[in-house]
Amino acid sequence: MNRKLVNAIACFALLVVLGGAGKALDAKTPYPSMAPLDQYVMADRTAEIALARTAAPASISRDATVVILGSHGYETAVEGKNGFVCIVERAWMNPFDSPEFWNPKNRSPICYNPPAARTVLPITLMRTKLLLAGKSKEEVKESVKAAIDKKELPPLEAGSMSYMMSKDAYLTDAGNHNMAHLMFYTPLGTVWGANVVDSSNELSEPFPGSPLLLAPSYKGNPEPIDMFLMPTGIWSDGTPAPAM
Amino acid sequence: MSRNMFKAIGGGAFTLAVMLGASWQAQALDAKTAYAGMAPLEQYLMTDRNAEITLARSAAPESISREAEVLVLGRHGYETAVKGKNGWVCVVERSWMAPFDDPEFLNPDQRLPLCLNPPAARSHLPLTFKMTELAFAGQSKTQMFDSIKAAFDKKELPLPEPGEVCYMMSKQQYFGRKHGNADPHLMFWVPKTDDIFWGAGLPGSPVYVHQYSPEPITEFIISVSKWSDGTAAPTD
Repeated sequence: MNRKLVNAIACFALLVVLGGAGKALDAKTPYPSMAPLDQYVMADRTAEIALARTAAPASISRDATVVILGSHGYETAVEGKNGFVCIVERAWMNPFDSPEFWNPKNRSPICYNPPAARTVLPITLMRTKLLLAGKSKEEVKESVKAAIDKKELPPLEAGSMSYMMSKDAYLTDAGNHNMAHLMFYTPLGTVWGANVVDSSNELSEPFPGSPLLLAPSYKGNPEPIDMFLMPTGIWSDGTPAPAM
Repeated sequence: MSRNMFKAIGGGAFTLAVMLGASWQAQALDAKTAYAGMAPLEQYLMTDRNAEITLARSAAPESISREAEVLVLGRHGYETAVKGKNGWVCVVERSWMAPFDDPEFLNPDQRLPLCLNPPAARSHLPLTFKMTELAFAGQSKTQMFDSIKAAFDKKELPLPEPGEVCYMMSKQQYFGRKHGNADPHLMFWVPKTDDIFWGAGLPGSPVYVHQYSPEPITEFIISVSKWSDGTAAPTD
């Protein structure tokens, strides 16, 4: 999810959700390249498992599979029973041109529902593996596109969605860094009446009053997926979250 | 959606306030006998066609509904009142779209404005039209149930498509004496699946679920914080 929220959240800043706390990012300088790997990896495996599970209410995440980041990619830390998969994604799941693509502070807990775990999570796993192997952004993009064309990455399943309700997430340097929300994955070009955030963090409002945001992630670049965000107003622990 | 909301709504914390507020009224409602059959047709119709168009459009923010097709209920079923330009369709459903076992089924006062995105319009409206036809024909609940089941079995009615969404954000929506105007929400239809598919109905989950019957459809429901006019919805 991070690849989503980061931009969305900037829009929320505009919408006052994040209020005056948000400072505009300097898009040119903050994270020009990958930091040392140990800045992305969490040394405490148990802490990463716990953080991943905070993405969704315990009633969902306690029986979920949990994957954590190792030095070569994600690996399964806990086998689940309910088809959900929880993970702490890193900043490189932002759009490739995001100024925070290499932000080592990013910690984005997500719990994918079963169809999203089968068809969206593989994108995260593939991108992560390639980047940690030293591939460039352009090489990763080309590899993902080829994998989609060859159907090595599965086509999106209907009903794919995920939870991002962790109070402990760090999604962006902007504003309050976080927002409780759900995400929905649909075929590219799906019309949901959502307002739009682009990869430059600019918000356009073709549908004022809509409770939905179309994030800049995926969107045919290269994955043929649209991703919509919907604030929940509540964190996974049941406490109220700032409303949109 | 209408036929969904009621069961789903029971677990919603947000809805609790509405339900409590209406509880004295609910006590007076005899669920078994309130609406044993169709009331006279006039009670379901809105005499002011423009009022029905306005009500239908109130299901979604004006930015969506102003260019939507609008259907209104006539003496022979739904008819197009306004041609749309954006692929969305807004309609005020009536209580025969409530679950068959819902006490509000056939309540002539119920008014449920929806705005459907293009795939939802393609798959959901045929069901609305079919139920309306059966209700107008005077079929009993049992006959309606069997007719709908047969229609899905024969694939005469479509299943949900990928990417469906339906807005129900009208402040003027009316579910009946028990739930009043409930809360603003979005609905998502998928071919019948388990509640856990979206983590619905579990403690702390913001997702509610309604399992249609006999339709092989699952509806997921998520509340939003504002009505379509931009005003804040009550919270508990």
